[in-house]
Amino acid sequence: MKVLKIISLKKSFDGKKVLEDISMTVYRGDIYGFLGPNGSGKTTTLRILLGILCHDEGKVAVLNMDPSLDGERLRRRINVLPESHGFYGWMRAKDYLRFFGQLYGLQLAAADCRMHLDQVGLDPADRRPIRTFSRGMKQRLGIARSLLNNPELLFLDEPTNGLDPKGRREIHDLLLKLNREKEMTVVISTHILDDVERLCNRIAILHNSKIQYEGPLFAPVTGKSIRYRFHFADDKNIPSTWNVPGISCQEIKGQWATCEIKDIHPDKALRLLVQKGIPITEAIQVNSGLESIYLSYTASGKA
Amino acid sequence: MRYLITLIKKECVEEIISSRGAAFYLVGCGVLSVFSLLLVSNTELSLLDNAQAVYMMSAIIIALALLITVIRGSDGFAGERERETLETLLITPVSPAGVAIAKLMALIFSWWVVFILSIPYLWAVGSTGQNLLPAFQYLWVAGTLLVVIFGGFTLALSARMKTLKGALSIGLTAFLLCGSPILLGPSLRQSTVGRIIDLINPFAEALNMLDSVVVDSLGVLFQIVPLAILVFYSIAAIWVLNKATRRVEL
Repeated sequence: MKVLKIISLKKSFDGKKVLEDISMTVYRGDIYGFLGPNGSGKTTTLRILLGILCHDEGKVAVLNMDPSLDGERLRRRINVLPESHGFYGWMRAKDYLRFFGQLYGLQLAAADCRMHLDQVGLDPADRRPIRTFSRGMKQRLGIARSLLNNPELLFLDEPTNGLDPKGRREIHDLLLKLNREKEMTVVISTHILDDVERLCNRIAILHNSKIQYEGPLFAPVTGKSIRYRFHFADDKNIPSTWNVPGISCQEIKGQWATCEIKDIHPDKALRLLVQKGIPITEAIQVNSGLESIYLSYTASGKA
Repeated sequence: MRYLITLIKKECVEEIISSRGAAFYLVGCGVLSVFSLLLVSNTELSLLDNAQAVYMMSAIIIALALLITVIRGSDGFAGERERETLETLLITPVSPAGVAIAKLMALIFSWWVVFILSIPYLWAVGSTGQNLLPAFQYLWVAGTLLVVIFGGFTLALSARMKTLKGALSIGLTAFLLCGSPILLGPSLRQSTVGRIIDLINPFAEALNMLDSVVVDSLGVLFQIVPLAILVFYSIAAIWVLNKATRRVEL
């Protein structure tokens, strides 16, 4: 089921084209990566999808609603973590959640606030005003706010900005859990490709005001290769010919073989190798292919 | 529209709790203290008629409230835009017009706080004379209408301007232009041009009304026309604010 559909979206500011013929589709349960260099139009697209910016041409449907006409009704069912989200510094975290909860028609009890703060790793007993929070703490609070109304569709603009590796991992786990348990659809706009690799099943790459690629994350569909290093228990057992379609051996060094996987899903490739009795003890992804895909699509033109 | 109450509550609390809000009241009290001391000394020395002192104190209270209104109104949207809190607010199921109404209500609340704070000062200046009660009544009515007018227009400006600095400079210029006719001497104000300026200027209209109530002791019938003009301006300000906030660009 489609939760978001954009067809031939166009938007200009003072005659300058920011979005040109943008089309994309997000399905229920997707974790969708929205990638693109700075100034490529990601935030503009996001604002159009939220109904706080009008588009010039094209069709936009979010949860079967037109954001420009049903903005308020739509925003009850979705939520957003904008990239630059300011905070009312004089409020405390609980007051902040209670205030935004009320805007969604929710009366949050103390236990609800505790649960929301706890789920993003903030101390519910912290009574300091938000202005004293670190950037990472503010980011966590922003994520807690964006989950208040249990949204069907969640837009996250650079969600792991300012978070330490542990914090990033916790937010990844939280998003995966919400996606799995509540079938929450998530659209992530980010530059951190590691986030995309860990979370997303589908991506779109926006560059030069156009969608350059839209589809599954993994390289097979994109025609790009992923490099893997396989470890063998014994260097004598490394086969000279692999005879597995889509896998080509590039280099063998000791007990390690470096291979390129192309036109086949990496999970399937590994399964095939094991089925063929090739005695792999460890497989390490050298590059996911996403970085090379991203760079190849965004290499031309200005950043 | 349940969220409206939430927004109004938040705006009003922010008026009091935030350091910027509290600073306005503190400075306001300082200004009123200085002027009331000056006016009481002049009255005691019989340099100034008591009714005239009450009228002047009322004018100072209104001017102070309007200055706060213009500064807070300019900050309404443009300031939130600069502090990046506007986007967070607009991505919730609230309409920009709803946010504008909440902000206007907070400006009226702010005026009522100033009014309450000014009661002892006005009392100190005019307790020995007459017309103090009508002065309080008309000050409250005229002040509320003026805050709606100036607050509505400056909030509309703030919604359309990208920067706080721009909104504030235009707002303050408009405020000074409205205040300038009262600096004209009595003879100039009685001229045709002076009368026209007085008629179209809501600030002058309110002060003339206070003058006729406090100094000339004129009844309510004489206040109908200036009140009607102030109400007309208030409606116009709300209409402009509604138009300006149909869609707020970030």
